Amino acid sequence: MANLTIYVVRRILFMIPVFLGVSILTFIISNAAGDPIALIRQGLRSVSPEVLEALRAYYHVNEPLYMRYLYWLWNLLHLDLGRSLSGSPVLTIIGPLIPTTLELQIPALILAVLIGVPIGIYSARHQYSKRDVSITTFALFGYSMPTFWLGLMMIIVFSLYLGWLPSGGAAGITRIWWGSEFADRIAHLIMPLSVLTYIQLATFVRLIRGNMLQTLREDYILAARSCGLKERTVVYKHALRNAITPIVTILGLGFGSSLAGAPGLETAFNWPGLGYQFVRATFSLDIPQIVGITVVITIMLMIANIVTDLFYGLIDPRVRLG
Amino acid sequence: MHIRRKAKTENATTEKQETTSTRRRGASQWAVGWRRFKRNKAGLAGLFIVLFYVFIALTSQWLAPYPPRSFLSLVQGENGEPPSWKHPFGTSKAGLDIFSEVLHGARGDLYVGVGATIVTVIIGLAIGAIAGYLRGGSGDFILMITQVFYTIPLLPLILLFARVFMILVAQGFGLTLILLLLGFFGWPTISFVVRGEILRIRELDFVKASQALGASRWRVIFRHIVPNTLTPVIITATLLIAGNILTEVVISFLGFGDANTSTWGITIQEGITYMRTEWWTPVFPGLATLFAVLGFNLLGDGLSDALNPRLRD
Repeated sequence: MANLTIYVVRRILFMIPVFLGVSILTFIISNAAGDPIALIRQGLRSVSPEVLEALRAYYHVNEPLYMRYLYWLWNLLHLDLGRSLSGSPVLTIIGPLIPTTLELQIPALILAVLIGVPIGIYSARHQYSKRDVSITTFALFGYSMPTFWLGLMMIIVFSLYLGWLPSGGAAGITRIWWGSEFADRIAHLIMPLSVLTYIQLATFVRLIRGNMLQTLREDYILAARSCGLKERTVVYKHALRNAITPIVTILGLGFGSSLAGAPGLETAFNWPGLGYQFVRATFSLDIPQIVGITVVITIMLMIANIVTDLFYGLIDPRVRLG
Repeated sequence: MHIRRKAKTENATTEKQETTSTRRRGASQWAVGWRRFKRNKAGLAGLFIVLFYVFIALTSQWLAPYPPRSFLSLVQGENGEPPSWKHPFGTSKAGLDIFSEVLHGARGDLYVGVGATIVTVIIGLAIGAIAGYLRGGSGDFILMITQVFYTIPLLPLILLFARVFMILVAQGFGLTLILLLLGFFGWPTISFVVRGEILRIRELDFVKASQALGASRWRVIFRHIVPNTLTPVIITATLLIAGNILTEVVISFLGFGDANTSTWGITIQEGITYMRTEWWTPVFPGLATLFAVLGFNLLGDGLSDALNPRLRD
């Protein structure tokens, strides 16, 4: 147990340089595009020199870049990500987006695992059967498709032509779908969720199938079978345990990158999540927002990574942490 | 009859090779792989799709009825028309002939997909080789950097770089910029593969032999070890091309690509505003993407089945 604590502490300490690296990189790149105040001015009709001066002072534009970074870092230690160039604090912009992103991503991941793992196992056990071929084809299409494009296709069919489902957003604005507010959210969730689930499912099916095929050839499976164990026990108790370890890694990485949202998918569905907001902020070169969102995503990614590693140690006794 | 003769000559060459030098026998590895690959229908289908796309990419300027990004059909009053004989994939509201755009898009997207992969392979091979061969601190350090690249959110960073550099760098450099970005950020995939292979290979006898003969460290790495990692690198790279094409399509769909070059993503983006009435504008470039990526994935899987010695029965 003490080892585990040391391990976690070490990992967290290791996170600090990575975090600094990512934030410095984002900071330099986003500032390289030009004077942020000039960008604000584009949005305002006429600005008096005093206001401009005040803005310059507020965003520390006249000071060297490293000083600006240090100011930003100091504010971050006080849990303040500064103000967006649009005026509102970055935290109040980002805050509500995190749950919206997770509302889409977490169910998709869970569904993808719950559906993908059994399908993958089935496919591996019946290798080269007709069903296996159709499952592999189905999966192949899944990971060969741009996520956002599949979303657009579904919008065209189910929303624009059939009118069954809303075409975008996370909740109804002008019209509440299906009566209650809760049902409305569900109605908005169905399409992006099924697209995301399908795409992730495809990866899981492919992975599990491949791993399972390799594991089922191992000698210890032969041994288990020759001991007269039921096929069910062999597959689900002996083989699955080995075949599933890489899934944990993918799950961790997948969860991490899903926090960045699927910028394409979120844009296709106008889903007000982190990915969509990042695209908009980057497009308008809103430096504080860009840096803020990157930092939030990076931190969550790192936490996801640590949790993955801990989980790895739990299910695979060969992995010793620390 | 013909087939049998061919098989005979193949047998003859392998026999001959086995009696001659060891170098010759290395070449027959690929012949064995090709023979296995030929039996794999899915892999062959992938190869044909890929060759088809390469053909289109190379000849798009002659095949396509309209030049890239030309809004000619608007001038001719034919914008926003459904697919017809004159415009097989229809025209967009802004006046693009979608068929031409899809053909030109093949050139742009294959350029980025293949080019970025080449950059990735070069960087990944070098870094992976060094990380795999050096023991102790420096190897660990490189591994750590690789893991950091795995940890950080790449797509947002690429988008940010693309946005800023598009402003800083002159126009017309656009697709090459995306290519370089994807290439520079993609190397960890390759370098992990290379490192793993090298850890395995460097314990083999022939490496010890060349060390004993006094070969320098760099000669051992790049002459003896790296060539032996090429099989998994080729497989990974083929799959990576597929991934790079997908990423490029997302980037240009989101509007961070080069607005002056035809790509599938930018054509899809053009279509979403009038999606209600013009389904053809987003549909066809998306299908083009789907089959291109599918082709590279099938080819990669086929290569992996054919060349991976561990899967041989």
